[in-house]
Amino acid sequence: MKNKISWLAAPYVIWMALIVVAPIIMVVIYAFTTAQGGITLDNFARMGTYTVIFTRSFQLALVATIICLLLGYPLAYVMAKEGPGFQRIAMVLIMLPMWVNFLLRTYAWMAILENNGILNNFFEAIGLFDLINGIFGTDLTYFRMIRTQGAVVLGMVYNYLPFMVLPIYSVIIKLDHSLLEAARDLGANSALVFRKVIFPLSLPGVLSGVTMVFVPSVSTFAISRMLGGNNQMLLGNLIEQQFLGGAYNPYLGSAIALVMMVIVIVCMVVMNHFGEGEEQAVML
Amino acid sequence: MKKITALTLACSLALGLFLSGCAMEESASGSSSYNFTAGSGSTAGNNSSSTESGKREVNVCSWGEYIDESLIYKFEEETGIKVNYNTAPSNEELYSLLQSGGVNYDVIVPSDYMIARLISEDMLQPLDYSKIPNYEKIDEQYKGLSFDPNNEYTVPYTWGTLGIIYNTTMVNEPITSWEVMFSDEYAGNILLIDNSRDAFGMALYYLGYDVNTTDEAQIREAAQLVADAKARGVYDGQGMDEVFQIMEGGNLAIATYYAGDFLSMHENNPDLAFCVPEEGSNWFVDAMCILKNAKNVDEAHEWINFIASTDSNLANMDYIWYASPNAEALEKYPAYYEETYGEPLDQELYEIMAAPKDVLARCSMYENLPAETLALYNDLWIELGI
Amino acid sequence: MSKELIRLSNCTMAFDGEVVLDGINLYINDKEFLTLLGPSGCGKTTTLRIIGGFQTPTSGDVFFDGVRINSVPPHKRAVNTVFQKYALFPHLNVYENIAFGLRLAKTDKDGKRYKLSEKEIDQRVMEMLEVVNLRGFEKRHISQLSGGQQQRVAIARALVNRPKVLLLDEPLGALDLKLRKDMQNELKRIQQAMEITFIYVTHDQEEALAMSDTVVVMDAGKIQQIGTPEDIYNEPKNAFVADFIGESNILDGIMREDGVVEIFNRKFKCLDSGFEKDEPVDVVIRPEDVDIVPENEGQLKGTVTSVTFKGVHYDTIVDFYGFKWLIQTTDFCPVDSRIGIKIDPDGIHVMKKSHYSGMFGDYSSYSEEYEEISDASIDPEEEEQEDENEE
Repeated sequence: MKNKISWLAAPYVIWMALIVVAPIIMVVIYAFTTAQGGITLDNFARMGTYTVIFTRSFQLALVATIICLLLGYPLAYVMAKEGPGFQRIAMVLIMLPMWVNFLLRTYAWMAILENNGILNNFFEAIGLFDLINGIFGTDLTYFRMIRTQGAVVLGMVYNYLPFMVLPIYSVIIKLDHSLLEAARDLGANSALVFRKVIFPLSLPGVLSGVTMVFVPSVSTFAISRMLGGNNQMLLGNLIEQQFLGGAYNPYLGSAIALVMMVIVIVCMVVMNHFGEGEEQAVML
Repeated sequence: MKKITALTLACSLALGLFLSGCAMEESASGSSSYNFTAGSGSTAGNNSSSTESGKREVNVCSWGEYIDESLIYKFEEETGIKVNYNTAPSNEELYSLLQSGGVNYDVIVPSDYMIARLISEDMLQPLDYSKIPNYEKIDEQYKGLSFDPNNEYTVPYTWGTLGIIYNTTMVNEPITSWEVMFSDEYAGNILLIDNSRDAFGMALYYLGYDVNTTDEAQIREAAQLVADAKARGVYDGQGMDEVFQIMEGGNLAIATYYAGDFLSMHENNPDLAFCVPEEGSNWFVDAMCILKNAKNVDEAHEWINFIASTDSNLANMDYIWYASPNAEALEKYPAYYEETYGEPLDQELYEIMAAPKDVLARCSMYENLPAETLALYNDLWIELGI
Repeated sequence: MSKELIRLSNCTMAFDGEVVLDGINLYINDKEFLTLLGPSGCGKTTTLRIIGGFQTPTSGDVFFDGVRINSVPPHKRAVNTVFQKYALFPHLNVYENIAFGLRLAKTDKDGKRYKLSEKEIDQRVMEMLEVVNLRGFEKRHISQLSGGQQQRVAIARALVNRPKVLLLDEPLGALDLKLRKDMQNELKRIQQAMEITFIYVTHDQEEALAMSDTVVVMDAGKIQQIGTPEDIYNEPKNAFVADFIGESNILDGIMREDGVVEIFNRKFKCLDSGFEKDEPVDVVIRPEDVDIVPENEGQLKGTVTSVTFKGVHYDTIVDFYGFKWLIQTTDFCPVDSRIGIKIDPDGIHVMKKSHYSGMFGDYSSYSEEYEEISDASIDPEEEEQEDENEE
């Protein structure tokens, strides 16, 4: 019986080994070597100069995650409270964009946000700029929306919001209704029921969602290139530069990637710890 | 029995998803392959040599939108050699691919400075020019260039210039100088080209320095010029491929890009204009060469010869809007154009595509810079991003 | 002396056209232990939830202390509930679960809002832990408790708020027998000590009889009978109640005159009166009220068809003229023996006929019905006709 199970798991193990473990090992090896071949810590010596980029990437990811949380949690909550008909429709609507390729969706946003793009043309057509110019005495012909940091956050939130909504939704919907009744029975009104029972019990879902948004956001570079105009370098761009920039330096690139991986893992561990603590006494 | 069927189904589904996922990823960022016959033709794994299976084939890696595809079919019909045509997005990425191994190209079409680097790193093999009779047709001024002074490794494919593309409805007067890229006149309405060589290059031209200088002070000065402009908000953003959509859509006034690509954009937006600035600019040659470890050497030579022919050059020029180094083709092109489209070729556009001698006189070609200079470029470029 | 605390006036509850409660009229006194008893689906839990505020009656009114509270939400009622599955908060420990209600702001009689101090909360929680015998369990996690312990936490959590009324929805259902009996005693003791009104829902009639001051028997959304446990047991109003509470033999009879009822063409002395002459009635005879005597001495004669040893007594099924009786006796009578029975007048209880007549009371289920179930050719409707014809 034991042999049967391990045989079935073989494809997964091989897959994980090839696709996940081996590349990580390669990154680690590259990070500690140089073109000359010796083991060295030189690659890490220059991390300090890139602190700004690290901070920027994490900050941006944090902003995107918080926005996703602020938008996603109420959505998940409302979905869970409504009946099955509404839930099905809402589910389809949330998942529908994911059927279209990620990059294509981002290209679509470019067309929408461009200076001469769909939104700006629409605003012009309805006379919005004339109105604003009339009131404020400016001479706007368009809103600058693309190639801004705001557009990058928008892109990230748009692409990753479903990953925040779905875990929270699936946790809230499984909450035992008798718990909510018990809370009400003991004197809690709707606001208190939410604060003291629903919210604490939904935290595992929140943690899932936060992880699934934060991690891809930190390493994004396609969104920052297409919607952010590459104005500010992020970690993804930085690493890319080492491989595809003027000077081919996979060692430094791997070192940066390794540092990023370690920081992300630390963040996740901290979050999980925080999550576990919540299970004990919650004095909200 | 049921379990096995389910397992097989699951495996094939997973495999199918995996492969299609690969294809999508490739078209977005990495190299992708065009399959012009019923063969598999993926980037990795083309190691069946012609002698083995009796089927002849050649593996080419070029750039996106860089060939009239009918030429590939024509070649396959005429010679019976199967063409596995791949593309890469940039010279640097091509270099990265070649360094990391895992690809089996025979013919590549890098730009001048990259060829120089490949030669210096002994990654190319000398060509047997006896197999490439069409080499004779190549104009003299495209032979013996700095990257291959003795004409041992290359056959030029296209050439062109780097210049300023601007939207005539969005500027006050025609642009003639690199100055617009550093002044506040059109601040916020300019796209900076997103690679260090071209970006710092235009600053070097503007400052009057040699674009291939290794003088650190000069390079830093050029970088500072760009950095200051960026800090003042002269550039709305940086981009390479994005330039097409941005300029065609009339979203920004000014950008820097290559002549051939300008002509494609012009087709979609006639308001656009092009200029090679008076301070000078870069002109480049993309040339075909054969990798040292190529497997299908004979087939590679045949391909190169075919592409170098006048007919192929005419077809390519017409399709990709890049100038051909084939003297005969250059001469015949206006007539060819009129024949094909029934209207005369716009002389102005033709001169943008194939810059006349006086324009070329103020242009220079990039050379392969030494490693320390490249590292300096890289650092300065990253600093720009911070 | 006991004042009325809760009144349900003509309450009806319908879901999607299906009537779950039909014109319920009920009043509950202060400090009373009242049980809603009935089979599944009779509406007892719905009644409880209406009192608790989790459901609003489709029509009819609910009064609390004279005030109509139909639309008052649960958190505003002076009522607390012990849920069937305890509904303890999994993210809080025992202490915090119990303290949950105390930590919420309260409104006193004058409408002023106040909060209990930490010290007060602590005092009340510890006090309640003492009451339910869970001293020392404060820091325990809910998942670490056994069923009985969770039960007691649920009770403590409700009681610590000192509600006027405690609603209990089949709280002992998940416990094993011994524990259940202990908890029954505990609950009764707590109710009397704290002088709180308990409204208890159960389908277990023994439980109801053991703990209650008043029992409300319900079936199909209607109240069948309200009374003390003794009343319900000794003087059931109809065949349903007679059958639901304890075991009963229910027979067709004719009331000849006050004090005399005729069954199987034999007249029996009884204590009931108030019926019309020759009125057809249901006669209830409890199995333990039947004495087994030698055949020739008996008021009725029958044949033993099965005997089951139950420890305390034998369950003996006896066939009298085609009708099977259950007799509980310590005398052993072998199968197929002919016996006679004697019934004292106070062992007979006469009830008016109702729509329940004929549905219960025949212990053929011990033998015939099994054959009927196994016989595919018999139509269930036909079978009922046969039984009626037999009498």
